[in-house]
Amino acid sequence: MTQEKKRFSDTRFYPIFFMIIVSVIFVGILATFYELTAPRVKAYQQESNQKIILGLFGLPTQAPQQAFDKFIEEKQQDDIVYYEAIQQNRLLGFAFPIRGKGLWGTIDAVVAVSPDFTKIIAFDVIKQNETPGLGGRITEKKFKNQFQNKDLLQNNELVKYNLVAEDAVEDKYEISQITGATLSSRAVVNMLYNELKDIKESLGVSYE
Amino acid sequence: MSKREIFMNSAFTENSVWKQILGICSALAITNLVRNSLVMGLGVIFTLALSSLTVSLIRSYIPKRIRMMVQTLIIASYVIIVDLFLKAFMPEISKALGPYVGLIITNCIIMGRLEAFAGKNSPIDSMIDGIGTGVGYSLVLIIISFVRELFGFGTLFGFQILGDWWTKWSIMVMAPSAFFMLAILIWIIKGPLSAKKG
Repeated sequence: MTQEKKRFSDTRFYPIFFMIIVSVIFVGILATFYELTAPRVKAYQQESNQKIILGLFGLPTQAPQQAFDKFIEEKQQDDIVYYEAIQQNRLLGFAFPIRGKGLWGTIDAVVAVSPDFTKIIAFDVIKQNETPGLGGRITEKKFKNQFQNKDLLQNNELVKYNLVAEDAVEDKYEISQITGATLSSRAVVNMLYNELKDIKESLGVSYE
Repeated sequence: MSKREIFMNSAFTENSVWKQILGICSALAITNLVRNSLVMGLGVIFTLALSSLTVSLIRSYIPKRIRMMVQTLIIASYVIIVDLFLKAFMPEISKALGPYVGLIITNCIIMGRLEAFAGKNSPIDSMIDGIGTGVGYSLVLIIISFVRELFGFGTLFGFQILGDWWTKWSIMVMAPSAFFMLAILIWIIKGPLSAKKG
């Protein structure tokens, strides 16, 4: 009885061996590509964050790095990081990075609040994974700009804005939601309320 | 089959969307803006072409039992490259597409072509087939998004086309309209258009 010599490609180890080799090669390619693009991605992110914070206070955004160094000061109290905007020795307000649960993932945003904590100066979204064209529209001016100069207080309490149908806002505590994206719109309003409440408590802001 | 035939076949005759009804999920999700569809289409063409080429090159070495794993790994790698590229060089579009770039991995068209074509044919033919399939898919996305963006937003590529008099059709912005559009498109192609050819 002759026994044919088994080839390596027929053994049960071959698939394992093959998978390891293929994985190593492709992970290697990806790691290299990631390393190559990482500095660009990071620089872009930092720049766009600076632009967003400057934009909230209506400060010039052409040269973000210089403007940021000039007007914005990063502060920290307990675990809250925030930004103070000062122009010609006048305190414009505070910008707080906030975070909340969206429909598909976390929404990262910043909100600028007046120095006395009674008004929102402006609001902007940094990162979101909402449905493009629907919830993704929380990043559009039409939605974001609604928060400009919005009163934060109702009877000395932090207000939670009411959502109403698109373009049907009647009083100053209402926000018009995005058609087809009720959940994302609600996520933003809830995020603002919850985060500002926490921030207010941590920083010991009171209105009495 | 000549190279030209392979391309025409995979892009039109055997179009993966209207003939094989594959890749429907992404056709529904990202077709409300033409720009997004275009980038998505390019991403799919790139991924399909290169993963077809790669799978075809190593097709005789891939153990039969784990070929799906290998294919997924290859597809995923190219998709991540597309994602990183967009993040680094086209950050605005990357932001707009969000998670959908990553979801190219699960696009059934790609795995379908790898199984049906790249696993059995020469590398160059496979690459042409990949490009053809990708072009056919992009074509469908662009046709659908053209109509949806025009009626839903009154714009094309973000430029205002229809004036203020136009009442925007909210339904066009939402996913269900893609169902209607896709169905109408398939009907036109399979009905009136095919009938004429006899």
